[in-house]
Amino acid sequence: MENATSVATEPTVDRRPPPPARHLSSETTRAALRIQAAVLTAARAFLAGEGFTELLPPIIGPVTDPGSRGSKQLDVDYYGHKYKVMTSGILYKQASLLAFDKLFFIAPNVRAEPPETCSTRRHLAEFHQIDVEVAGATRAEVMGIAERLLTHVVRHVLTSVPEQFEVLGRDPLAFVDLLAGPFDVLSHREAVAALHRLDYPQSPDAEIEWTGEELLSEQAVRPFFVTDYPKGSRGFYDRESTTEPGRLRNFDLLAPEGYGELVSGSERESDYATIVTRMRETGENPAKYRWYLDVVREGVPRSAGFGMGLERLTRFLTGLHSVWQVNAYPKIPGEVSP
Amino acid sequence: MRAHGFPEERVRARARNGAAEAFPPVESYGHEVFGSTGTTAVDELDAARLVPPVFMPLRLEKLIDLGREPLQSDVDLATRIGGFASALPVYLSAFGSTRIGSSELSVSASRQAAELGVPMVIGENVVPLTGYRREASATTGILARIRAYLDASNPGVGGVVVQQSTEDADAEVWNLVYSDPGVEPLLATGRLGFELKVGQGAKPGLGGMTVLDRSTAARVDDQYAIDDLWPDSGVLRSGTPGTFTDEILRQQIRLMRNNFPRARVWVKLHPGRDVARAAACAWDAGADAVTVDGAEGGSGWAPTAFLDHVGLPLAECLRRIGRPSGCLLASGRMWEGVRAVKALALGATAVGLGRAALTAVDTDPEHGLRRLVECLAFEARLLISALGKYSPDVLAAEDVWFAGRSDVPALSSARS
Repeated sequence: MENATSVATEPTVDRRPPPPARHLSSETTRAALRIQAAVLTAARAFLAGEGFTELLPPIIGPVTDPGSRGSKQLDVDYYGHKYKVMTSGILYKQASLLAFDKLFFIAPNVRAEPPETCSTRRHLAEFHQIDVEVAGATRAEVMGIAERLLTHVVRHVLTSVPEQFEVLGRDPLAFVDLLAGPFDVLSHREAVAALHRLDYPQSPDAEIEWTGEELLSEQAVRPFFVTDYPKGSRGFYDRESTTEPGRLRNFDLLAPEGYGELVSGSERESDYATIVTRMRETGENPAKYRWYLDVVREGVPRSAGFGMGLERLTRFLTGLHSVWQVNAYPKIPGEVSP
Repeated sequence: MRAHGFPEERVRARARNGAAEAFPPVESYGHEVFGSTGTTAVDELDAARLVPPVFMPLRLEKLIDLGREPLQSDVDLATRIGGFASALPVYLSAFGSTRIGSSELSVSASRQAAELGVPMVIGENVVPLTGYRREASATTGILARIRAYLDASNPGVGGVVVQQSTEDADAEVWNLVYSDPGVEPLLATGRLGFELKVGQGAKPGLGGMTVLDRSTAARVDDQYAIDDLWPDSGVLRSGTPGTFTDEILRQQIRLMRNNFPRARVWVKLHPGRDVARAAACAWDAGADAVTVDGAEGGSGWAPTAFLDHVGLPLAECLRRIGRPSGCLLASGRMWEGVRAVKALALGATAVGLGRAALTAVDTDPEHGLRRLVECLAFEARLLISALGKYSPDVLAAEDVWFAGRSDVPALSSARS
């Protein structure tokens, strides 16, 4: 799934959101939201400068990005038809390439994550992504865009709202290594080997587990990429390598200091027959993706893209304990909230 | 309900009387003498015989271990089935979405499976048809069955396995179940599994079939093929069996393991001619159990052409698989101890009760399944001890004789 989940574990029973009035009026919340607003300004300016067009994302549709790691989709009754609230904009991003070669959404997404993620500090059921797609791009090219976007955003927020970092007690020196770059690149296989050296029992055939991601993240001084996840760990739209079958041409970007995953992306599969086959491999029923498959059958450009989790990025920038602290109306998985 | 072509009356008798039915009527004791009943076997597995040896080194081992001569009560039937501890080498197969399989009887069956300490599979298509979350007090449906199982079970044993087929993927059954707070006690005790249904024995190559009234059919008609066959009774609703290749099977299993790391992964295969290759593929991809449903398997509804003429018999499936490289489960016409023990000897770790379980709870909703399984377990202990063995895992092909087959059995020694 785009911007697939990742997690630090640590039950935080005493670290749940206060009532909305107290949360909204707290200085911490205000500072975090001001930093988040600066992030959006910076991201839009950067992407516009790179020739991207911002599109507004659909909120509901007959089908959405299939769930992963146990997250589930929410249904709405749409004139008697069962529609889905978007878990990510991936299907619409691919289709939108018929209009623009370089596009992005600032997209709200809803994923009913399993209740056990309520203690991860990194999961919200409702969150936002800076969702980027580029026709004809390779993975390396969009990894470059993600790296430059993140670097630009960090530089911008540090200079435009430095006082908010003071309010939060976040030391700007935390970003020196990030700004110096470049970001390291680690293959999934190397990440698994690194975890095995730390005596962490990571399966070589699966997504890096949340605790494993946190372990790797804690050891890093600047963000780093993990590439080439195995098939079976990601959605049908991540293109499979032609030179290394069983490996996907995808990547995650993980923040240092234990903050974990910020970005998930890939080269996209654009061949109709391969997409249908991959849907079966991921247990999906192609029939429910009819509108999307009709578009793909007519032909969509090859592309690559990514989704950058806005709240996770803000949490990393602010250094706050939990991701709910950077959202005005946080929805913690499994909890009833406004 | 009726179960034609199935020893229905004998199953009902066991559901009423339990282990006493392992013998002829006790009133005849002392007045009659007994020999082979000459019952006609319906398939090769039934026709095969269990063949105890004269010399029994494993009985000697048990004698040394116990310091006395072992008895049938010394046979330990506890085992592990697809990642779950089980009191017996038996599990409850899926009932599916027919009227019988979705009724309150299936809830009674769930409770009794829990009391017996054996795992239970909940069938596909229950959700798209009957919905997932009805009012909390609902007495049927998937959550009612899980609740009944949880309430009656000992946390250390058994497990609940939820099937999903291609149509179920639309309803995202596994996601719903995995994130349901009511299911958390199963996850917390490592007792939740998901079964990928590739096919079933009664109609290999076809998907699920039910007869629906016209209004219900209209509600689901974009997901299924609808054939208007019975003007007075309703229409046939057919689900897709789904398309599989070795790569699709391998990747679906990996995805299950990736997305539901706290759940066990089971795979149910129909008795296809490449069943050995499919089972090996599933184990290799990490399946905790592979069920082979022989062509003798029961079904809520299937075309007669398929019931009698399509698919490999269970004995041939087991022969083709040979020594399994993972946990193999066998189903198809299972109801008593001797067929079960033969299947165990031919490589299975456990056997699934489908029609027999439904017939038993139909006979006595309160205790029918428990009595049926107690009789099966009693027979299994007798049979396994007669073979000079004291646990199911040391049964081997040497324990089974097929008339007219002179070739060396596929499994020539005890499995480790």
